[in-house]
Amino acid sequence: MTTKERPKPFLIPHYCKGCGRCIDSCNKHCITAGTEIDPLTGLVPVNLDLEACNGCGLCIDACPEPYGLSPMPEGVDPSNFELQDPAKLFGEKQSAAPPTSEIPDQIIPLPRVEPLVIKGNYAAAVGALLAGCRHFFGYPITPSTEGAELMAKLLPKLDGFFLQAVSEVATVNMMYGAGGAGLRAMTFTSSPGFSLMLEGISYMIGSELPGVFINVMRGGPGLGNIAPEQTDIKLACRGLGHGNTHAISFTPSTPQEMLDLTMLAFDLSFKYRNPVVVLGDGYLGQMTGKVTLPSTMKRPGIPAWAVYGDAKHRANINTSIYLDETDLEKHNHKINAKYELMEKNEQRADLFCADDAEVLIVACNTPARMAKGAVEALRSDGIKAGLFRPITVWPFPIDLLRKPLEKAKRIVVVEASNGQLEDELRLAVSKAGIQSLPPVDSVRHMGGILPQLEEIVAEVKGKKVAA
Amino acid sequence: MSTVFYDKFERHSHAEGLKGRSTHYCPGCGHGLAHKYLASAIETLGIQDRTVIVSPVGCSVFLYYYFDVGNTQAAHGRAPAVAIGHKLANPDSIVVSYQGDGDLASIGLAEIVSTAQMGLPITVIFINNAIYGMTGGQMAPTTLMGQESATSPYGRNQYMGQPMKMAELISALDGPIYVERVALFDAKQRNRAEKAILKALKLQVENKGFAFIEVLSECPLHLKMTPEEAEKWVKETMSQVFPLGVKKDLTETEAWFNPPAAIFDPGMVMTVIGGENQAPKRNCTSFPAHIAPNDISLKLAGAGGDGAQTAAMLIAQAAVNEGFDATHIPSYGPESRGGTSYADVHIAVGEVLSPASPRPNILVAFNAPSLAKFGPQVKSGGTIVYDSSTISEPPPAPAGVKQFGVPFTGIALTLGKPVVKNVVALGALQAVTNIFPTDTFLTAIRQALKEKAKVIPLNEEAFARGQKAVAKQ
Repeated sequence: MTTKERPKPFLIPHYCKGCGRCIDSCNKHCITAGTEIDPLTGLVPVNLDLEACNGCGLCIDACPEPYGLSPMPEGVDPSNFELQDPAKLFGEKQSAAPPTSEIPDQIIPLPRVEPLVIKGNYAAAVGALLAGCRHFFGYPITPSTEGAELMAKLLPKLDGFFLQAVSEVATVNMMYGAGGAGLRAMTFTSSPGFSLMLEGISYMIGSELPGVFINVMRGGPGLGNIAPEQTDIKLACRGLGHGNTHAISFTPSTPQEMLDLTMLAFDLSFKYRNPVVVLGDGYLGQMTGKVTLPSTMKRPGIPAWAVYGDAKHRANINTSIYLDETDLEKHNHKINAKYELMEKNEQRADLFCADDAEVLIVACNTPARMAKGAVEALRSDGIKAGLFRPITVWPFPIDLLRKPLEKAKRIVVVEASNGQLEDELRLAVSKAGIQSLPPVDSVRHMGGILPQLEEIVAEVKGKKVAA
Repeated sequence: MSTVFYDKFERHSHAEGLKGRSTHYCPGCGHGLAHKYLASAIETLGIQDRTVIVSPVGCSVFLYYYFDVGNTQAAHGRAPAVAIGHKLANPDSIVVSYQGDGDLASIGLAEIVSTAQMGLPITVIFINNAIYGMTGGQMAPTTLMGQESATSPYGRNQYMGQPMKMAELISALDGPIYVERVALFDAKQRNRAEKAILKALKLQVENKGFAFIEVLSECPLHLKMTPEEAEKWVKETMSQVFPLGVKKDLTETEAWFNPPAAIFDPGMVMTVIGGENQAPKRNCTSFPAHIAPNDISLKLAGAGGDGAQTAAMLIAQAAVNEGFDATHIPSYGPESRGGTSYADVHIAVGEVLSPASPRPNILVAFNAPSLAKFGPQVKSGGTIVYDSSTISEPPPAPAGVKQFGVPFTGIALTLGKPVVKNVVALGALQAVTNIFPTDTFLTAIRQALKEKAKVIPLNEEAFARGQKAVAKQ
């Protein structure tokens, strides 16, 4: 073998850190520790004296730097060379990453079918399948397990993946991976599990990755119990992990909405490249109701930004790292702009007898159903009651509250929590600059007890509406 | 220069100055070598487009500066979970989880162990340098006994536990097919490391399974050594604790990972979901307004196992089949504790507003405590049906409420199946209230049992017996 076939090493001293791994590797002792400090790097590169070099290449294998010791290119004067264009020095790359491109979603018509009679947890699972979700990651936790169990039963029949993770922490990171690959991934969880997922949700938001979290809320703090509460409103609205985080958070109140909002959650999650939370309560998860299926389903494509693992997406990266302070601030401004869009476009609420209501009941999830019954009972007694039911708690549907607030003389917030919905209401009112908030009363229960229709009626009747 | 490295490291401080061509690693660090061998393997196997590398938290967090492949940066310790997400999202992708010792052997233990046991074809490159580099020289799970670090300033002792031998631990699991520990301290070891990484990646390309390469690596800065001393330390000291070599090799395993593409055929999806395009025949001509004008409230109560929930579901299904709205909620409120099971059902012309039944129009009671508790709540004009087999001395019916005793359990026993007592109860309910026609109930029962068709006749018989028992009264 000639030395021409085995090129000698070549080194641009700026890219040598002087570690000396190459010194040992050279049997011919061609390489010695340097003595002169490189003025650009402040490091001391090695010296090459290639008289005795036989081109064995071991020094090249020993060099940790990609642009460190390399085979000598032909026609290069190593004594005086500055690396500008690697293509000139090392030859063109065989393939450069092509521009990224999108595979678009397809909307597929569904045959018309009879309504299903299913529980809320099942309805959300069915919604996910129709939204094109074929990747479920989760850890069993009551009272959300039926959703996971149905996915475990149905996904294999659609050649999708159901994976029971080692923990909720692993779950959210599997979603980070699958969502990062551009696919529709989801989980079912309940409050303690949701707490464990928060770090990962912050990462998803930072990396702008989609994913849908169905959190069937239960009693807390701590292990609490498995009965229904609404005590993760605070987490979803104000505490989605560390940093500047928000996510659209739905509060369905019927099995039908569990399906519809889960489907919508996937679309919005991809639209904004941000996780979406569906907050159910333990009761809604178990509640059976009539569920009408939509007229179309989705076959998702692959977005242009995804790290899918193919040529069209090779140039992409999912990361939440912005080391440079100005870069990170810029990234946060970008995220804030998305939050503003969500606040502008995604507020949702259901108003029932609210137009002329003097007593406006504010409630979401299952308590909103008791409240709806209470409104009907109160109206039949001649009391002008109405219901304002947030379907999104973040963004709080403040724009839809303005009109009923004009007539309302009193607000009664009905919730199965320590006042977390009321906090959101008050914060939204305050941020919107609304000065004239009428007196706010509440019907609250914790521990897994839901406010009852009679209690709401009694609270409304117990205090006269101010004239 | 491998073509798998970027021409210019734009992600490294926007490639300012020398950063466009120079890694962020310290002189003598082993990461650069592992990077080179990984890049070379990707190039050799021709998988650059398909590769996704998951970078961890630790010194190699910035691996994405260098590799011209799909990149994902993961939370501390979670790279294997993220890798699973990528692999299942695109089974054709080649997924590498590149992790350090803090990431893999401390905070991420659950993820690496469960991922390895799962055995998906994923390649893990584990850089073990016995110290925390990025955070500045603290104790790692792989720090040697007696080794000083910022958080073991007097040397690692028994109270801090002993170093984690990950290659041995992972090789003891059933999932992995290839586990090897390699080093970088001399040309021979480097050659082995390069070959091991190539082999691990090739096994993934062949869809054979999970491979784990532990690389004993030098961190001269935090070992407070020169690069040469660090190589010597790894060779003479560290590799005594972490013996080099192949720990597991099942590389002759057949390829097994070849999942089919997900199904999006609408007909198939609808079949799986259970959507029926055939509307059940309607039997009602109008809402059963003789019970309540537009919203009927029912409660079914008994002990767990009485079948109150199933019966409630059947009523809800029957109502929806007739074009009404219906809800069913299981045990509700604090009084549900203690082995009782009860169900609230609503049937409404339009929409059920409140799904709870604190004042039902109809009570079906399977035992005495349920009857005693809920009987008084039944609305005037309402109906109670109770199991006279278990309730021999019923309290008097509340004013304006009709009360019927039917031996649900007794009839079910004569049919040889005590579990059908809830269907007996439904028959009795139908006969007493005429809430829906008989066929409406039978249709709902057949729907519910369509996958257990054998027991349909028994249930039909139970329903009929419940009806007959009322007729006799």
